[in-house]
Amino acid sequence: MWFEDIPLNVKVTVGSYEFTEENIIAFARKYDPQSFHMDKEAAARSHYGGLIASGWHTAAVWMKLMITHRRARVAAGDVQAQSNFVSPGVRDLKWLRPVRPGMVLTYTNEPVAKLDWPSLPQFGLIEGHNEARDQDGMLVYTFVNRVLIARRPV
Amino acid sequence: MRNVSDLLHFEDFRAGQLFALGTHRLSVEEILEFAREFDPQPQHLDPDAAKDLLGGLCASGWNLCAIAMRMLVDGLFNRSTSMGAPGIDEIHWRKPVRAGDRLRLDCEVLEVRGSSRPERGFVRFRFSMWRINDNPDGERVMMFTCPVMFRRRHVAAAAS
Repeated sequence: MWFEDIPLNVKVTVGSYEFTEENIIAFARKYDPQSFHMDKEAAARSHYGGLIASGWHTAAVWMKLMITHRRARVAAGDVQAQSNFVSPGVRDLKWLRPVRPGMVLTYTNEPVAKLDWPSLPQFGLIEGHNEARDQDGMLVYTFVNRVLIARRPV
Repeated sequence: MRNVSDLLHFEDFRAGQLFALGTHRLSVEEILEFAREFDPQPQHLDPDAAKDLLGGLCASGWNLCAIAMRMLVDGLFNRSTSMGAPGIDEIHWRKPVRAGDRLRLDCEVLEVRGSSRPERGFVRFRFSMWRINDNPDGERVMMFTCPVMFRRRHVAAAAS
């Protein structure tokens, strides 16, 4: 797959992930040990009214699902799918609603822009709009990812 | 348990303040553990495969964010009235970060502003992660900017 081949404005479902008390607390203990992410009683007394996932957990799950999704497409013989990503960064991460135990988030990705990346002219930059919604379809998390994709050799 | 009055509240932050948030030596085990669970790409898992991509095994950018968060919680949030962040404006991953790298995290207050809720306010920070292996000034490997909510010590007067 080359930069030139990627279709814009086509939304794909990347995958789903269930947040549980166990995986929320395990992530928080390692990376984000604030009481409302890892201590049920303290979380109940906080302004969140109960345990919520670290925003970095919600963000990291996108990467996990994206890799699984791309590998499945490669395995299915979809030559459009590149399985490795190099990214200079991301932007506009918005944690719109708290993620609580029992919530299953479904993530989508939609390439929305193609940009030049002058420091590596053999690559182009794809920007994608990403969403995660809960079982009721409520929007929980959005962000813009940015990934470098090789251009078709001339 | 810390006395509430000892905690950093919204009123304690000023634009231009700098906070040092400690140092951390990145281990290969940390890179692999995070990559296996969240970012199983060859550049984060396989030293041989990684050579072609980014010059060797390097940490997932999301792993660096998680490590920065841990340093930030241990170094600042857990002695504050932090109520969490509604999002991140932007994250820049500038350089591959490798096992054995010594990292330093610091942050600068960019802006303080009130909230529509009188008991809290927003502090906007720029966090920078520096590699300090040889150069004590460091090389900036990652930065991100975000607003964080803090409880106020005194409830603000209603906006007129």
